[in-house]
Amino acid sequence: MSTLTDTELNLDQLLDRPWVTVVWDDPVNLMTYVTYVFIKLFDFTPERAHELMMQVHNEGRAAVTTGSREEMERDVQRLHEHGLWATLQRDDKI
Amino acid sequence: MSNFSRMGDGFALDLTLDEAHILINLVEQLLELLGDSNFEHHYTNDDPFAQLMGLGAEIATPEDPVLLRLLPNAYADPEASADFRRYTEPTLRRHKSEGLRSIRTELALIVDEIGGDESNTGGRVEELDGDVWLVALNDLRLALSVRLNIEADSFEKFELLPDEDPQKAVYAVYFWLGWLQENLLTAMIS
Repeated sequence: MSTLTDTELNLDQLLDRPWVTVVWDDPVNLMTYVTYVFIKLFDFTPERAHELMMQVHNEGRAAVTTGSREEMERDVQRLHEHGLWATLQRDDKI
Repeated sequence: MSNFSRMGDGFALDLTLDEAHILINLVEQLLELLGDSNFEHHYTNDDPFAQLMGLGAEIATPEDPVLLRLLPNAYADPEASADFRRYTEPTLRRHKSEGLRSIRTELALIVDEIGGDESNTGGRVEELDGDVWLVALNDLRLALSVRLNIEADSFEKFELLPDEDPQKAVYAVYFWLGWLQENLLTAMIS
Protein backbone atom coordinates (compact mmCIF):
# COMPACT_ATOMS: atom_id res chain seq x y z
CA MET A 1 0.00 0.00 0.00
CA SER A 2 1.19 3.42 -0.85
CA THR A 3 1.81 5.84 1.97
CA LEU A 4 1.83 8.86 -0.30
CA THR A 5 -1.72 9.88 0.57
CA ASP A 6 -0.69 10.41 4.17
CA THR A 7 1.45 13.31 3.14
CA GLU A 8 0.02 16.57 1.93
CA LEU A 9 1.35 16.72 -1.56
CA ASN A 10 0.86 19.83 -3.59
CA LEU A 11 0.94 19.15 -7.32
CA ASP A 12 1.93 22.71 -8.10
CA GLN A 13 4.93 22.44 -5.82
CA LEU A 14 5.89 19.04 -7.26
CA LEU A 15 5.74 20.42 -10.78
CA ASP A 16 7.44 23.60 -9.65
CA ARG A 17 4.99 25.69 -11.63
CA PRO A 18 5.88 29.35 -11.69
CA TRP A 19 3.56 32.27 -11.06
CA VAL A 20 2.51 34.87 -13.60
CA THR A 21 1.51 38.50 -13.39
CA VAL A 22 -1.59 39.18 -15.47
CA VAL A 23 -2.59 42.66 -16.66
CA TRP A 24 -6.29 43.14 -17.47
CA ASP A 25 -7.87 45.47 -20.00
CA ASP A 26 -9.77 48.52 -18.81
CA PRO A 27 -11.36 51.39 -20.75
CA VAL A 28 -9.37 54.11 -18.96
CA ASN A 29 -5.63 53.52 -19.17
CA LEU A 30 -4.23 54.99 -22.38
CA MET A 31 -2.51 52.56 -24.74
CA THR A 32 0.59 54.75 -24.86
CA TYR A 33 0.66 54.92 -21.04
CA VAL A 34 0.39 51.12 -20.63
CA THR A 35 3.27 50.65 -23.10
CA TYR A 36 5.32 53.27 -21.22
CA VAL A 37 4.70 51.55 -17.86
CA PHE A 38 5.74 48.13 -19.24
CA ILE A 39 9.03 49.58 -20.50
CA LYS A 40 9.66 51.49 -17.29
CA LEU A 41 8.90 48.64 -14.86
CA PHE A 42 10.14 45.60 -16.75
CA ASP A 43 12.77 47.05 -19.07
CA PHE A 44 11.02 45.56 -22.11
CA THR A 45 11.99 46.71 -25.60
CA PRO A 46 9.43 49.13 -27.08
CA GLU A 47 8.39 46.35 -29.51
CA ARG A 48 7.77 43.81 -26.73
CA ALA A 49 5.95 46.36 -24.59
CA HIS A 50 3.73 47.35 -27.50
CA GLU A 51 2.99 43.70 -28.32
CA LEU A 52 1.90 42.97 -24.73
CA MET A 53 -0.18 46.16 -24.57
CA MET A 54 -1.99 45.10 -27.76
CA GLN A 55 -2.59 41.64 -26.28
CA VAL A 56 -4.19 43.23 -23.22
CA HIS A 57 -6.27 45.48 -25.47
CA ASN A 58 -7.43 42.79 -27.92
CA GLU A 59 -7.68 39.70 -25.72
CA GLY A 60 -8.66 41.38 -22.47
CA ARG A 61 -5.54 40.27 -20.60
CA ALA A 62 -1.89 39.31 -20.97
CA ALA A 63 0.68 37.54 -18.80
CA VAL A 64 3.46 40.10 -18.59
CA THR A 65 5.99 38.52 -16.21
CA THR A 66 6.76 35.04 -14.82
CA GLY A 67 8.66 34.00 -11.72
CA SER A 68 8.37 33.16 -8.04
CA ARG A 69 5.30 34.16 -6.07
CA GLU A 70 7.30 36.82 -4.21
CA GLU A 71 8.60 38.33 -7.44
CA MET A 72 5.11 38.41 -8.96
CA GLU A 73 3.67 40.04 -5.85
CA ARG A 74 6.26 42.77 -6.22
CA ASP A 75 5.38 43.23 -9.90
CA VAL A 76 1.65 43.42 -9.11
CA GLN A 77 2.35 45.99 -6.42
CA ARG A 78 4.35 48.15 -8.83
CA LEU A 79 1.65 47.86 -11.51
CA HIS A 80 -0.97 48.93 -8.94
CA GLU A 81 1.20 51.91 -8.05
CA HIS A 82 0.92 52.89 -11.71
CA GLY A 83 -2.84 52.37 -11.84
CA LEU A 84 -2.82 49.24 -14.02
CA TRP A 85 -5.24 46.46 -13.14
CA ALA A 86 -3.02 43.46 -12.36
CA THR A 87 -3.34 40.12 -10.54
CA LEU A 88 -1.06 37.14 -9.99
CA GLN A 89 -1.83 33.45 -10.37
CA ARG A 90 -0.33 30.06 -11.12
CA ASP A 91 0.99 29.74 -14.63
CA ASP A 92 -1.40 26.90 -15.54
CA LYS A 93 -4.52 28.96 -15.14
CA ILE A 94 -4.12 31.34 -18.04
CA MET B 1 -4.33 76.36 -22.91
CA SER B 2 -2.71 73.58 -20.92
CA ASN B 3 0.54 72.20 -22.18
CA PHE B 4 3.55 70.25 -20.90
CA SER B 5 7.01 70.92 -22.28
CA ARG B 6 10.43 69.49 -21.54
CA MET B 7 12.69 71.79 -19.53
CA GLY B 8 16.16 70.54 -18.64
CA ASP B 9 15.79 67.35 -16.58
CA GLY B 10 12.15 68.02 -15.81
CA PHE B 11 9.00 69.46 -17.32
CA ALA B 12 7.07 72.69 -17.31
CA LEU B 13 3.30 72.97 -17.34
CA ASP B 14 1.25 75.94 -18.51
CA LEU B 15 -2.28 76.12 -17.18
CA THR B 16 -5.07 78.64 -17.20
CA LEU B 17 -6.29 79.62 -13.78
CA ASP B 18 -9.54 77.71 -14.35
CA GLU B 19 -7.65 74.56 -15.28
CA ALA B 20 -5.40 74.88 -12.24
CA HIS B 21 -8.47 75.26 -10.01
CA ILE B 22 -10.16 72.19 -11.46
CA LEU B 23 -7.01 70.11 -11.06
CA ILE B 24 -6.21 71.15 -7.50
CA ASN B 25 -9.81 70.53 -6.43
CA LEU B 26 -9.78 67.03 -7.89
CA VAL B 27 -6.40 66.28 -6.32
CA GLU B 28 -7.63 67.37 -2.89
CA GLN B 29 -10.83 65.34 -3.20
CA LEU B 30 -8.90 62.23 -4.15
CA LEU B 31 -6.46 62.77 -1.27
CA GLU B 32 -9.45 62.89 1.08
CA LEU B 33 -10.86 59.72 -0.39
CA LEU B 34 -7.48 58.06 0.24
CA GLY B 35 -7.75 59.11 3.88
CA ASP B 36 -5.21 61.91 3.67
CA SER B 37 -7.05 65.11 4.57
CA ASN B 38 -4.68 67.05 6.76
CA PHE B 39 -4.42 70.18 4.61
CA GLU B 40 -6.31 73.35 3.89
CA HIS B 41 -8.81 72.80 1.08
CA HIS B 42 -9.20 74.97 -1.97
CA TYR B 43 -12.62 73.53 -2.77
CA THR B 44 -15.96 73.86 -1.05
CA ASN B 45 -18.49 71.09 -0.45
CA ASP B 46 -20.91 72.50 -3.02
CA ASP B 47 -18.24 71.99 -5.70
CA PRO B 48 -19.82 69.69 -8.34
CA PHE B 49 -16.75 67.45 -8.33
CA ALA B 50 -16.79 67.17 -4.56
CA GLN B 51 -20.37 66.00 -4.85
CA LEU B 52 -19.38 63.57 -7.58
CA MET B 53 -16.61 62.12 -5.43
CA GLY B 54 -19.16 61.68 -2.68
CA LEU B 55 -17.36 63.73 -0.06
CA GLY B 56 -19.34 65.18 2.79
CA ALA B 57 -22.01 62.55 2.29
CA GLU B 58 -20.28 59.48 3.65
CA ILE B 59 -16.97 58.33 5.05
CA ALA B 60 -14.90 56.53 2.42
CA THR B 61 -14.46 52.84 3.03
CA PRO B 62 -12.45 50.20 1.18
CA GLU B 63 -15.80 49.13 -0.33
CA ASP B 64 -15.90 52.39 -2.24
CA PRO B 65 -15.51 51.39 -5.92
CA VAL B 66 -13.04 54.23 -6.55
CA LEU B 67 -10.76 52.93 -3.81
CA LEU B 68 -11.18 49.39 -5.06
CA ARG B 69 -10.02 50.54 -8.51
CA LEU B 70 -7.04 52.45 -7.12
CA LEU B 71 -6.17 49.74 -4.60
CA PRO B 72 -7.31 46.60 -6.44
CA ASN B 73 -7.30 42.97 -5.39
CA ALA B 74 -4.13 41.10 -6.32
CA TYR B 75 -5.64 37.60 -6.33
CA ALA B 76 -8.89 36.08 -7.54
CA ASP B 77 -8.97 34.21 -4.21
CA PRO B 78 -10.44 36.54 -1.54
CA GLU B 79 -8.32 35.11 1.27
CA ALA B 80 -5.03 35.48 -0.60
CA SER B 81 -6.16 38.94 -1.67
CA ALA B 82 -6.90 39.99 1.89
CA ASP B 83 -3.50 38.75 3.05
CA PHE B 84 -1.74 40.65 0.27
CA ARG B 85 -3.77 43.77 1.00
CA ARG B 86 -2.94 43.63 4.69
CA TYR B 87 0.75 44.12 4.12
CA THR B 88 0.83 46.14 0.88
CA GLU B 89 -2.15 48.50 0.94
CA PRO B 90 -0.72 51.04 3.40
CA THR B 91 2.36 51.41 1.19
CA LEU B 92 0.25 51.74 -1.95
CA ARG B 93 -1.99 54.34 -0.33
CA ARG B 94 1.02 56.29 0.88
CA HIS B 95 2.63 56.13 -2.56
CA LYS B 96 -0.50 57.55 -4.21
CA SER B 97 -0.95 60.19 -1.52
CA GLU B 98 2.62 61.38 -1.84
CA GLY B 99 2.32 61.80 -5.60
CA LEU B 100 -0.94 63.71 -5.27
CA ARG B 101 0.51 65.84 -2.45
CA SER B 102 3.46 66.71 -4.61
CA ILE B 103 1.39 67.90 -7.58
CA ARG B 104 -0.96 69.72 -5.19
CA THR B 105 2.00 71.79 -3.95
CA GLU B 106 2.95 72.63 -7.53
CA LEU B 107 -0.60 73.52 -8.52
CA ALA B 108 -0.92 75.72 -5.45
CA LEU B 109 1.89 77.86 -6.87
CA ILE B 110 -0.47 78.84 -9.67
CA VAL B 111 -3.72 78.91 -7.70
CA ASP B 112 -2.46 80.76 -4.62
CA GLU B 113 0.21 83.05 -5.99
CA ILE B 114 -1.41 84.37 -9.12
CA GLY B 115 -5.02 83.47 -8.34
CA GLY B 116 -5.60 86.67 -6.40
CA ASP B 117 -4.42 88.85 -9.23
CA GLU B 118 -7.29 89.33 -11.65
CA SER B 119 -5.06 90.52 -14.46
CA ASN B 120 -3.49 87.04 -14.58
CA THR B 121 -5.38 84.32 -16.38
CA GLY B 122 -2.85 81.54 -16.07
CA GLY B 123 0.61 80.51 -15.07
CA ARG B 124 3.48 78.11 -15.39
CA VAL B 125 5.01 75.61 -12.98
CA GLU B 126 8.47 74.27 -13.66
CA GLU B 127 10.87 71.48 -12.65
CA LEU B 128 8.07 68.95 -12.56
CA ASP B 129 8.75 65.22 -12.17
CA GLY B 130 7.18 63.66 -15.27
CA ASP B 131 6.62 60.23 -13.71
CA VAL B 132 4.91 61.65 -10.63
CA TRP B 133 2.55 63.74 -12.78
CA LEU B 134 1.87 60.89 -15.16
CA VAL B 135 0.74 58.57 -12.35
CA ALA B 136 -1.21 61.27 -10.51
CA LEU B 137 -3.11 62.27 -13.66
CA ASN B 138 -3.82 58.59 -14.25
CA ASP B 139 -5.15 58.15 -10.71
CA LEU B 140 -7.46 61.16 -11.17
CA ARG B 141 -8.76 59.67 -14.42
CA LEU B 142 -9.29 56.26 -12.81
CA ALA B 143 -11.23 57.85 -9.96
CA LEU B 144 -13.45 59.91 -12.25
CA SER B 145 -13.98 56.97 -14.61
CA VAL B 146 -15.55 54.90 -11.83
CA ARG B 147 -17.94 57.70 -10.88
CA LEU B 148 -18.79 58.37 -14.56
CA ASN B 149 -19.06 54.67 -15.53
CA ILE B 150 -16.60 55.18 -18.35
CA GLU B 151 -16.69 52.47 -21.01
CA ALA B 152 -14.93 51.95 -24.33
CA ASP B 153 -17.52 54.01 -26.26
CA SER B 154 -17.92 56.83 -23.72
CA PHE B 155 -16.26 59.44 -25.89
CA GLU B 156 -18.81 58.92 -28.66
CA LYS B 157 -21.62 59.17 -26.09
CA PHE B 158 -20.06 62.33 -24.67
CA GLU B 159 -19.98 63.95 -28.09
CA LEU B 160 -23.69 63.25 -28.53
CA LEU B 161 -24.62 64.83 -25.18
CA PRO B 162 -26.41 68.16 -25.65
CA ASP B 163 -24.46 71.15 -24.36
CA GLU B 164 -27.08 71.91 -21.72
CA ASP B 165 -26.68 68.45 -20.13
CA PRO B 166 -25.14 69.07 -16.66
CA GLN B 167 -23.02 65.91 -17.01
CA LYS B 168 -21.32 67.27 -20.12
CA ALA B 169 -18.86 69.48 -18.21
CA VAL B 170 -17.83 66.60 -15.95
CA TYR B 171 -17.20 64.28 -18.89
CA ALA B 172 -15.30 67.11 -20.58
CA VAL B 173 -12.93 67.31 -17.60
CA TYR B 174 -12.37 63.54 -17.70
CA PHE B 175 -11.45 63.64 -21.41
CA TRP B 176 -9.34 66.76 -20.91
CA LEU B 177 -7.33 64.87 -18.24
CA GLY B 178 -6.70 62.11 -20.78
CA TRP B 179 -5.53 64.65 -23.31
CA LEU B 180 -3.24 66.23 -20.68
CA GLN B 181 -1.76 62.85 -19.76
CA GLU B 182 -1.09 62.02 -23.41
CA ASN B 183 0.42 65.48 -23.85
CA LEU B 184 2.86 64.83 -20.97
CA LEU B 185 3.71 61.37 -22.27
CA THR B 186 4.53 62.82 -25.69
CA ALA B 187 6.83 65.39 -24.06
CA MET B 188 8.52 62.61 -22.03
CA ILE B 189 9.07 60.22 -24.92
CA SER B 190 10.21 62.74 -27.55
